Amino acid sequence: MPSPVIETIGLTKAFPGVVANDRIDLEIRAGEIHAIVGENGAGKSTLMRILCGLYQPDLGEIRLRGVPTVIRDPRHAIKLGIGMVHQHFMLVDRFTVTENVILGAEGTRWGRLDRRAARRRILEICDRYGFDLDPDLAVEELSVGQQQRVEIVKVLYRGADIIIMDEPTAVLVPQEVQELFDNLRRLAKSGKTIIFISHKLDEVLDIADRITVLRGGRKVGTVKAQETDRRGLAEMMVGRPVLFSVDKEERAPGEPLLKVEGLSLKSGERYLLRDVSLEVRGGEIYGIAGVEGNGQTELVEVIMGLRRPTTGRILLAAQDVTGLPVGRVRGHGVSFVPEDRHRRGLILNMTVWENLFLGRHRARRLTAGPLLRRIVMLGEADELVQEYDIRVGSTGQPVSSLSGGNQQKVILARELAGQPRVIIASQPTRGLDVGAIEFVRQRLIAARAAGLAVLIVSADLEEVLALSDRIGVMYGGRLVKEVAASETTAQELGMYMLGSTTGAKEARDHVL
Amino acid sequence: MQRRRETMSYRRRLLELAAPLLALLFALLVGGIFLLAIGKDPLQVYLTMFRFNLSRLDSIGSILYKSTPLIFSGLAVAVGFRVGLFNIGVEGQYFIGALLASIVGFSLHGLPVWIHLPLVVLAGMLGGMLWAWLPIVLKLRRGAHEVITTIMMNHIAYALVLFFITSVFLDTEQEMVKGLGSPQVRMPKLLETARMPTMHGFLETLGIELPRHVYLNWFFPLGILLAVALFVMLWRAAYGYELRAVGGNPAAAETAGINTQRTMLSAFLLSGALAGLVGLSDLLGYFGYLDIDFPKGYGFTGIAVALLARNSMLGVILTAILFGFLRRGAEGVQAFEGVPMDTIVILEGVIILSIVVAVQIVNWYVRRQEKLMKRRQVTMERAGGD
Repeated sequence: MPSPVIETIGLTKAFPGVVANDRIDLEIRAGEIHAIVGENGAGKSTLMRILCGLYQPDLGEIRLRGVPTVIRDPRHAIKLGIGMVHQHFMLVDRFTVTENVILGAEGTRWGRLDRRAARRRILEICDRYGFDLDPDLAVEELSVGQQQRVEIVKVLYRGADIIIMDEPTAVLVPQEVQELFDNLRRLAKSGKTIIFISHKLDEVLDIADRITVLRGGRKVGTVKAQETDRRGLAEMMVGRPVLFSVDKEERAPGEPLLKVEGLSLKSGERYLLRDVSLEVRGGEIYGIAGVEGNGQTELVEVIMGLRRPTTGRILLAAQDVTGLPVGRVRGHGVSFVPEDRHRRGLILNMTVWENLFLGRHRARRLTAGPLLRRIVMLGEADELVQEYDIRVGSTGQPVSSLSGGNQQKVILARELAGQPRVIIASQPTRGLDVGAIEFVRQRLIAARAAGLAVLIVSADLEEVLALSDRIGVMYGGRLVKEVAASETTAQELGMYMLGSTTGAKEARDHVL
Repeated sequence: MQRRRETMSYRRRLLELAAPLLALLFALLVGGIFLLAIGKDPLQVYLTMFRFNLSRLDSIGSILYKSTPLIFSGLAVAVGFRVGLFNIGVEGQYFIGALLASIVGFSLHGLPVWIHLPLVVLAGMLGGMLWAWLPIVLKLRRGAHEVITTIMMNHIAYALVLFFITSVFLDTEQEMVKGLGSPQVRMPKLLETARMPTMHGFLETLGIELPRHVYLNWFFPLGILLAVALFVMLWRAAYGYELRAVGGNPAAAETAGINTQRTMLSAFLLSGALAGLVGLSDLLGYFGYLDIDFPKGYGFTGIAVALLARNSMLGVILTAILFGFLRRGAEGVQAFEGVPMDTIVILEGVIILSIVVAVQIVNWYVRRQEKLMKRRQVTMERAGGD
């Protein structure tokens, strides 16, 4: 059995209000790909931050290659051969790959930057591990997957042999994920150790040798990837069996409730939206897939009346609402779950009950002349808190004191309580843990069952596939493909998301 | 555990109330150093100030009179803050308000007081609104920051009022005693029907004999009434709810379907209307005419009043009275202790600074306590669980 390269014994770290890591014993072997999984708040990030020197543990010991070690700070960690690839890249767009890699570790010759030697070493690294990367290109010209490779090269360049990857696949499309995994396997084969943090079970099962599950700051266990499956892992993560398939009853879609015709949005000379047409029927969930920044946000904002389209029409139940202000659009029975809770969804310094009525506060039953009927509102707020299982001491608390999942439930409760006919939900489960995700998805399915038209925008392909009846893929402001969810695969959608319209068909034929 | 949380919030309230008081003490301490530096005995000076302020009826009346314009300007600034706008233009708005009120006050003859006086007050509010209108429209249409535009509007207002006094409405029919002396640079006197009556008559029926040289008038109760009305509007009315929503997060308010532009416009105009009332207590209740020495600076003091009150409408009443107290006290220590009034201005400044700091410290302390308590709970639960 290979010897452990990192071992932690009773590692404990407490923050005000939580013990983020509670007596964690971890043992990572040289040359393995070791995945750490757990829900949000399970303590994954804290553990990694301790390992790369950002936090000091309150209790416990770290043994590096058998030697008890104190990792003082990130600089020290890299000296010890531990490198971290963050989820959010830390690159300078205008710099070339070489410049980015050597930034902070510049080799000098006679006080001059030795770019040539650095470039040579980078080429060597790419060569050895089979990375496809041009050291002379500016980072802004690279795709997200390539940028991630730059981050990995950065770590290797500094001599790391233990690489921590923090949710590396969150920003990638399926094809890029496969490439990343190929690279990681090659790294592991040549003796590097990889710690892979994720909450996507399929990926973890695919890439990891062994998997450690954390829950509520404690280690639940370490298992071999071959000896477990999705269901087993999920149960370890959540502590109870989890339903994966979202059960949707078959349903014949009704009348089109939301119709978008030839919608374009121009900013200066650039098209943010170009000739987008779609319709969503009652009892149907329409999913919009796409790499972020391809017009999804703009599409939703135009529909809601937050922006005025350059051309095109928006019809709600056959009524033209193009160019109406948000309040009037909502008056036609549209609800909206915005992608950014804190920016558009909530007023953080107001109370939970006040947030539960935002936009619905002028309803006749809630007002008496110019005054609000607080007693009625507080009563209804309590009912919503019950119904949506919002964990809050009192609705008089500021909404900022709630966890992300509960904040999302506040928005969902508010938007669904208005008895809408159309729901538009952007990234409805982003940043939520498994339990909350299940809840939100069930609510959306229930809305579909009640005959509502549901439009969801999600960066999570799995989610789009699981929830939607039909899926539209956006690329470069256009709706490049529309397909029935039952007739497509993540692979195919991924192709369209990357802008390829020819290759997608082949990919599908290949997979099916 | 529930009980403990309640005691926590109770203690927190207490601390929050204590913070301004502690700050006040600290400010008195710092002020004491200044007093020592100019060779005065701080204790003696403070004692004189308190005795002078609290032991005489005319002082009490004067404190309330001096606090009256500050209530209005504090409210004006606080309403702006609540909708997320920084109205630095209260200063200019009350000058224009006073100008319009004065014109209506001396030019409309033959009206009964119950028509004329409200008209004059409305003219004042209209003037304030007018001067707030341009900055807010510039902001909403063109994105010009209201801090910059309102500051510039202040300067325009000063100059404009001066121009109207000296060149348009200068009162040339002033009677000189035996034709001696020089005429005042002022506009014509307001008609009797435009003057705000003092509260002497009313207080007499309550058995309080307010000395004649105090000009406490009905604007003071009006200010308190307005503060209460604004409080109700803010926390009970649909409009106030929208106003706070827009102030809290305009993007979210917009997304929820609230017309943020209209809310900002109306709230800023409301702020301007309140600002228009700032100068009226002096104009209608004391001077009776608008001259080139019309008191300046209430608008800026109003910012401090609103800040100290942390934009609470009812808090503004208290902080305005505090400022009135200091200003009356300044007169007292100047007369009886030979301490220059500027020392008290220094004290005002130190109080503002130390309250800002004290509030921060209390917030920090409370947060720390809460964290410690949570941590203790967690460790206890953990220990109990094993």
